[in-house]
Amino acid sequence: EERRYRSASGAPGALRRRQHSASCRELAVRCPRLQLRSLSAVTSAVWLAAYGLFVLTENSTVLSAAIFITLFGLIIYLHFVKVDQESLLVIGSLGIQVTSSYASGKESTTFIEMGQVKDVVINEAIHMQKVIYYLCILLQDPGDPQGVSEVVPLFQSSKPRLDCLIEVYKSCQEILEQRKTAPQ
Amino acid sequence: NSPAPLPERAIYGFALFLGSWFGFMLYVIWAYVPETWLFSLGLTYWPQKYWAVALPMYLLVAIGIGYILLFGINMMSTAPLNSTHTITDNYAKKQQQKKFQEEAIPALRDIPISEVNRMFFLPEK
Repeated sequence: EERRYRSASGAPGALRRRQHSASCRELAVRCPRLQLRSLSAVTSAVWLAAYGLFVLTENSTVLSAAIFITLFGLIIYLHFVKVDQESLLVIGSLGIQVTSSYASGKESTTFIEMGQVKDVVINEAIHMQKVIYYLCILLQDPGDPQGVSEVVPLFQSSKPRLDCLIEVYKSCQEILEQRKTAPQ
Repeated sequence: NSPAPLPERAIYGFALFLGSWFGFMLYVIWAYVPETWLFSLGLTYWPQKYWAVALPMYLLVAIGIGYILLFGINMMSTAPLNSTHTITDNYAKKQQQKKFQEEAIPALRDIPISEVNRMFFLPEK
């Protein structure tokens, strides 16, 4: 099922939950789309600056350079920066898979096996000038059963707000609890 | 160590007041009186008058940069989102568990984040 939420900056997005089996859940968070007005604002700013330079230097290569810069900049932004959807696949006995799909179609995946996962928690931290809630996976310290060796933050680009994070947290905890009751 | 007025503090305050007035008058004389008059008095070994304007300017620019620098240092020393410093620190790792006593208030301790999350976000059964 799908429901709407807001990101930390106020832009709208959606959370989609799918239950594949009793111990397997997929949670996909869709990021706010690239806005047409911001795209046209950046393009106009770059082209106005290039036209200003052309008027100063009377060199027409400035204009073609500006067009190429805008085009390549947009391609690089869509391929490396703009995340379209971030998803979390929790398989009870196996592990957790984190996938980010970019706007150009590229997908990057990380898998963390269940033996390394200590817990999935909602942590709050100072980010830039705000305090934000974010979901993170705590990795087990092999030497110390109570210790945390690493923190893996999730949903970095979509940054959903607390109501969406609580839903994801509850879904994950239902699966993580099963490994305490049935350890083999 | 109270901040109450004492005779010694009054003397220090007055000495500082006189000293700062004297320093200010010296600075004003050095900045405004033409060099020829000072030379005729026999006072020749003064710094260049360029510094009478340059030093206050340096001071003001340093104060302005200091604001921005402090803001930047704060932002740089904030722990990133993926560091364990947002979860725990040395004192919390080394804390000792006190024994639980009946009918007594539990001792103060750092509660692990998993427990805090369960208390906040999972509904009570």
